[in-house]
Amino acid sequence: MNLILDKIFAHTTKFIALGVLLIVAWIFTELFQQSLVSIQSSGFDFVTQTKWAPNLEKFGALPAIYGSVVSTFLAMVLAVPVAIGVAIFLSELAPAKLKSPVGVSIELLAAIPSVIYGMWGLFYFVPIIRDIVGGVGISMLSAGIVLSIMILPFMAAVTRDAMNTTPDILKESAYALGGTKWDVIKDVVMPYAKAGIIGSFILALGRAIGETMAVTFVMGNVHKISLDLTQPATSIPVTLANEFNEADTGIYYSSLFELSLLLLVISFTIISIAKFYFLRRKRLGA
Amino acid sequence: MTHTEKRILTNKIVMTLSTLSAMVGMTFLFWILGILVINGIDALNWTIFSEAGAPPGYEESGLKHALIGQLMIVGVATFAGVPLGILAGTYLSEYGQQSKLAETIRDISDIMMSAPSIVIGAFVYAIVVAPMGHFSGWAGSVALTIIMLPIILRTTDDMLQLVPSTLREAAFALGAPKYKVIMQVVYRGAKVGILTGVLLGVARVAGETAPLLFTSFNDNFLNTDMNQPMASLTVTMFNYATSPYEDWQKLGWAAAFILSMFILGLNIIARVFLMKKKGK
Amino acid sequence: MATITQILEEKALEVKNFEFTYAGADAPSIKKLDMPIAKNSITALIGPSGCGKTTLLRSFNRIHDLYPGNKYEGEILFKDRNILTPKEDLINLRIKIGMIFQKPTAFPMSIYDNVAYGMRLQGIKNKTELEGRVEKALTDAAIWKEVKDRLKHDANGLSGGQQQRLCIARAIAVEPEVLLFDEPTSALDPISTAGIEELVVELKEKVSIIIVTHNMQQAARVSDYTGFMYLGELIELGRTEEMFVTPREKLTEEYITGKFG
Repeated sequence: MNLILDKIFAHTTKFIALGVLLIVAWIFTELFQQSLVSIQSSGFDFVTQTKWAPNLEKFGALPAIYGSVVSTFLAMVLAVPVAIGVAIFLSELAPAKLKSPVGVSIELLAAIPSVIYGMWGLFYFVPIIRDIVGGVGISMLSAGIVLSIMILPFMAAVTRDAMNTTPDILKESAYALGGTKWDVIKDVVMPYAKAGIIGSFILALGRAIGETMAVTFVMGNVHKISLDLTQPATSIPVTLANEFNEADTGIYYSSLFELSLLLLVISFTIISIAKFYFLRRKRLGA
Repeated sequence: MTHTEKRILTNKIVMTLSTLSAMVGMTFLFWILGILVINGIDALNWTIFSEAGAPPGYEESGLKHALIGQLMIVGVATFAGVPLGILAGTYLSEYGQQSKLAETIRDISDIMMSAPSIVIGAFVYAIVVAPMGHFSGWAGSVALTIIMLPIILRTTDDMLQLVPSTLREAAFALGAPKYKVIMQVVYRGAKVGILTGVLLGVARVAGETAPLLFTSFNDNFLNTDMNQPMASLTVTMFNYATSPYEDWQKLGWAAAFILSMFILGLNIIARVFLMKKKGK
Repeated sequence: MATITQILEEKALEVKNFEFTYAGADAPSIKKLDMPIAKNSITALIGPSGCGKTTLLRSFNRIHDLYPGNKYEGEILFKDRNILTPKEDLINLRIKIGMIFQKPTAFPMSIYDNVAYGMRLQGIKNKTELEGRVEKALTDAAIWKEVKDRLKHDANGLSGGQQQRLCIARAIAVEPEVLLFDEPTSALDPISTAGIEELVVELKEKVSIIIVTHNMQQAARVSDYTGFMYLGELIELGRTEEMFVTPREKLTEEYITGKFG
């Protein structure tokens, strides 16, 4: 009896674990199948054309891709230095009394749903951008900034964690040679924590590029490539969020599925790079 | 200026810059938190809990529909995702261990935890909504289950691995079959850890908006039929906030506040559990 | 009061009425301590765990200052100047007073860069000078032959004993006047330990050395003077060969003969 139950238990757990792999495989194949109509009709034009006009059955995803890349790039450029600054402050500068409350609140802020960052952006930040740079405020710039604020807590927390893995004794040896705090941080802590820090930045990049709600409010969903950051723009997830429920033709749907597939492949690739090159999981007990 | 003086100056400049950036970052973050609390508390009142949605301009409009919808969608997802995640995590830690298959499942789960959730929404649209012909609460739950699964799976895996192997060996030495060892000894040893993972998993999916947009969709009125489109706090928040009506926007902030407090609460409880666990 | 043998040599450091209290602690970890440190000699600090020997050692380069709230009282004189004042230039102090830690602390950089690190901090950029001094430091640390063909390799590829000698090379490359050793062989195998001990003895020609050790035999083998500490106080300081043969304090005798530890 025990033997049978033992087998049943073992097989059930294995079956469910395999199910996780199957679901992921299913997601890829399903999205691919749904994209087929679009892939067959537009081919490579899908990613090179700039005209997105569903009523004319023209689906050029370049503006959305461009918007994803630029808004994410903008967010990273803004968030990386601030995240490093916050991490240095938390791990090396802050007095003990501040360290833990500030650290914990940053971690908690990382848990706040992104839709709230988007709401804040729409009601409080967009008007400021409008006043400062003109235009409608709903723009690539706003999207980049709101996105950067959204990823900041995550990035700061993991950077701090990575920096904190540097053994005290290693830091002390650098101080013992007459190093200043900054010398020790740049020559010992950063090189020591390099893989962890770069890995988590890339991970943040992978998350940011797929982020929907923080940017949907403030980007505008305008399929136009403009070098002017104060203009409304769109990104892949913004397009999906705005248009999925409006799609009325098969090809329109299929194009949106192709966008989803594209987004999944891009973020899957970025996250994999972060995981496999930088954040190799340490085996427990090894 | 000697080299050492230069170093000291550079140090001062960099440390000032980093303190400043910490202040800038914290200002933004607390600004958001402050806005959330002020607007949220301002909008809170009893009607929010007692009344469902109404067209803009109506006095008697609340969030009852969204709160109930949210609870049902997230509840069903939790009900499905937690046992599945725990069992799959059990396989990784207790059976698969360092095998190639187990490692692959770990890697894929890690990646899925950061994958864009809107894509999961599109996927569930294709496999549930389209065949059924309409949006439904079930579809929303399916999407959230898929998002929750890797989180529960990985925390369970990690937490079970922390249970000392001597404990397992002691149980085996008494002649217990493996499934009993796992259910009666290993799970018990990892209880707090698994619970923490569950709390964090629920907190994570409770804040998801994107995957619900085209699965459970929305309903401005109270609906408890999971087979129909269903309101959730997040989608309601999104719709109300982007509407031009001030009273709807206000309700949107109330929803944002309630949801954030719920999620922060879960995170804080999870933290307390973890701290207690470490303290032991 | 401690029994202190008159130091005949010139003094490298002099501890006077020194007290040290850790942040948040009620009582000082080191109480009213007086101790001369002889120049170009090796002074060993021994005593049971928690006696304050490492705390004292870490006061000489004020590495305690990295953690806020620690408190010094009294004086430590280095070149007739009290180094415990708040306005002490810690960077220059630490260049003059080097330190070797319990575990090898190779930085995450090449062997060459590890040794050159302290000199670069001082602004030495000239390649020939750097190369010459790196070679000299590695030679003095008795590791040049082993690493000369792989100077550009990651220092973490070296064995524990080699890494510890690399750390010594890194410390002596900046030509300090005093070197502090904090249980430098506690993480090493016996053969590496013997190598490090030999090296420490050779180094005293150029620098004054203070070494904290758990291992009484090590103190006996390498040091000229030994200080025995107990519960934050210096019980006895004497010439090593005298103290291990004829301790003057009863506590010292009991510790040396292994009655407690």
